[in-house]
Amino acid sequence: MDSTAVTAFFQTLVQGLLTGGLYALIGTGLSLIFGVMRVINFAHGDFLAIGMFITLALFKTFNIDPYLSLLVAAPLGFGLGYVIQRFVLSRLGDRLGEGSMLATLGLGLIISNSLLLSFGAQPQSINVPYAINTFKMGGVQVSIPLLIAGLGTVVAIAGLNLLLYRTELGRAIRATAQNPLGAELQGVKTTRIQAIVFGLGVAFAAIAGVLLMPLLYTFPTVGENYTTKAFIVTVLGGLGNLPGAVVGGLVLGVIESLGAFYVSNNYRDAYGLIAFLLVLLLRPEGLFGKTVKRV
Amino acid sequence: MTAVPAITRPRALTFGNVWLSVGLLAVLLIYPFVFDKAMNFGISTLLFAGFAMSWNILGGWAGQTSLGHAALLGVGAYTMTLLATPERLPAFLQSPLAPWWGALIGMVLAALLAAVWGGLTFRLQGSYFVLSTIAVALVIRLVAINSDWTGGAEGLFMPDLPRLFGLDLFDRQVEYWLAFGFVVLTVLITHLIRRSRMGYALQAVREDEDGARALGIDPTRMKVLAFMLSAALTALGGSLYAIYLQAFEPHTLLELPISVQIALMAIIGGRTTIQGPLIGAVLLSVFGEVFRNVFSSANLLIYGVLILLVTLFAPAGIMGLFQRAGRKLGTAR
Repeated sequence: MDSTAVTAFFQTLVQGLLTGGLYALIGTGLSLIFGVMRVINFAHGDFLAIGMFITLALFKTFNIDPYLSLLVAAPLGFGLGYVIQRFVLSRLGDRLGEGSMLATLGLGLIISNSLLLSFGAQPQSINVPYAINTFKMGGVQVSIPLLIAGLGTVVAIAGLNLLLYRTELGRAIRATAQNPLGAELQGVKTTRIQAIVFGLGVAFAAIAGVLLMPLLYTFPTVGENYTTKAFIVTVLGGLGNLPGAVVGGLVLGVIESLGAFYVSNNYRDAYGLIAFLLVLLLRPEGLFGKTVKRV
Repeated sequence: MTAVPAITRPRALTFGNVWLSVGLLAVLLIYPFVFDKAMNFGISTLLFAGFAMSWNILGGWAGQTSLGHAALLGVGAYTMTLLATPERLPAFLQSPLAPWWGALIGMVLAALLAAVWGGLTFRLQGSYFVLSTIAVALVIRLVAINSDWTGGAEGLFMPDLPRLFGLDLFDRQVEYWLAFGFVVLTVLITHLIRRSRMGYALQAVREDEDGARALGIDPTRMKVLAFMLSAALTALGGSLYAIYLQAFEPHTLLELPISVQIALMAIIGGRTTIQGPLIGAVLLSVFGEVFRNVFSSANLLIYGVLILLVTLFAPAGIMGLFQRAGRKLGTAR
């Protein structure tokens, strides 16, 4: 390989890793929810779309910097998730498995169609001057918003780890994931914990939406694509396995990036799907997990 | 896993069921004469009713939720259209067969696809199968968008078809009765399955896979059979849909919302009953049409609201509500 080919390879790799970081953020939210409640959230991408549209609306009406929208999108996402778990999903009782799939599918349709009613079907984007800036390191160009997104992902996931392993709430969450009945007997209010966990998962999706907005355009059904990405990430890493979700996200980003560059850009979305199907068939416990791990 | 009643024995037809079926049949039979201005609505409703019934063989009787049925519909639509436009196909695939053989070939291809897909994925429990259906359908959609022979993102046109038994296949009246025939066929097959050994085996597998295995039933084999049947019927409907549309593109035909729509019609109507998917399809089509004027393209909103309400308050679907009301009336008397 000559030096331009090497640079191109690293360029593609870095691009893939940074995009993968965002996938990791989306997948972590989904995996957290699955790990604690065994619920597959089919509306996950639509929560991400909410984050994107909040950013879009704040920018268009008040000219607020997209990254400041985090202060609105993250708490709003948390509240939305909390309410949905508390007042919808928790009512499903022993029908949780199949019921939550249908309920979240319905929620996703409600969200995407409400966005369609409020914002129209046209793809929209925001123009911030620094969005096109790049940062050069040893011949490899990195777009600034992608770098910020990568850093945001690291901060969010580190924060989640601190919460899970350094706080009383984190202990309660882990206990609920391992044995809800036992946790309840120890005085943990599991219904509240589950609502908090769903809120956290949705907040993660909304944060990812905010971080993506300066990079991409958005449209009401954008979430569908990201729900699939989140599924791929969690299955690659093992359903309910949080470190797995991070690695799964990075793997997906790199597979897509390398595939698009070296094989064909048209099939960009297919590489992840094929990896996903292979892992489903050969190692349903995920690439790295032993069995389905708890949080 | 699913919120379903235990294994159902085909009961003697109750008064309510007969009334419901006769009423529905009467409406469908007089529809083209009364509403000849709204034939498109009638045809698409019937086709989707047929898709929902076909979905239900796998989703209801075998209890395996698929969110990838659009792919099977697509296999039917593409095979039919490609056989009618042989110049699109490589020489060794061109055939002198009349184009409607495409419907049968599409059914066989869809069944084969289901056999491979089901054979590989039915070892996976619960959510994994659902996720795999989405992935398989998305891969097929990407192939359709990026290949030349499928017409790529622009899709395909249905050329002029020769008359079938002297009937013009592009006449809306003819298409209505074809769609009607498709629904009758799916109802008959569902009915036959329900009364057969296979029907009992499927319900046993749905309720308790280990128990079924102990009885000597091979759960994977049963599920694959149900999937193949469901796929073949869906592909048959897909070829009728292609004739009705005359032109289609992968972006509308193969998208996830079509798969979701088919599944939701059956689930909202009631997946463990025979009439459920039919009623769900009619109801959602009517709702969709009514709200189309209010919400324009956001008419799936009503699907979202309904599925949420049904999941929370009527886990056995609208037919489940009917049956419960019927039992209450029965005990009151």
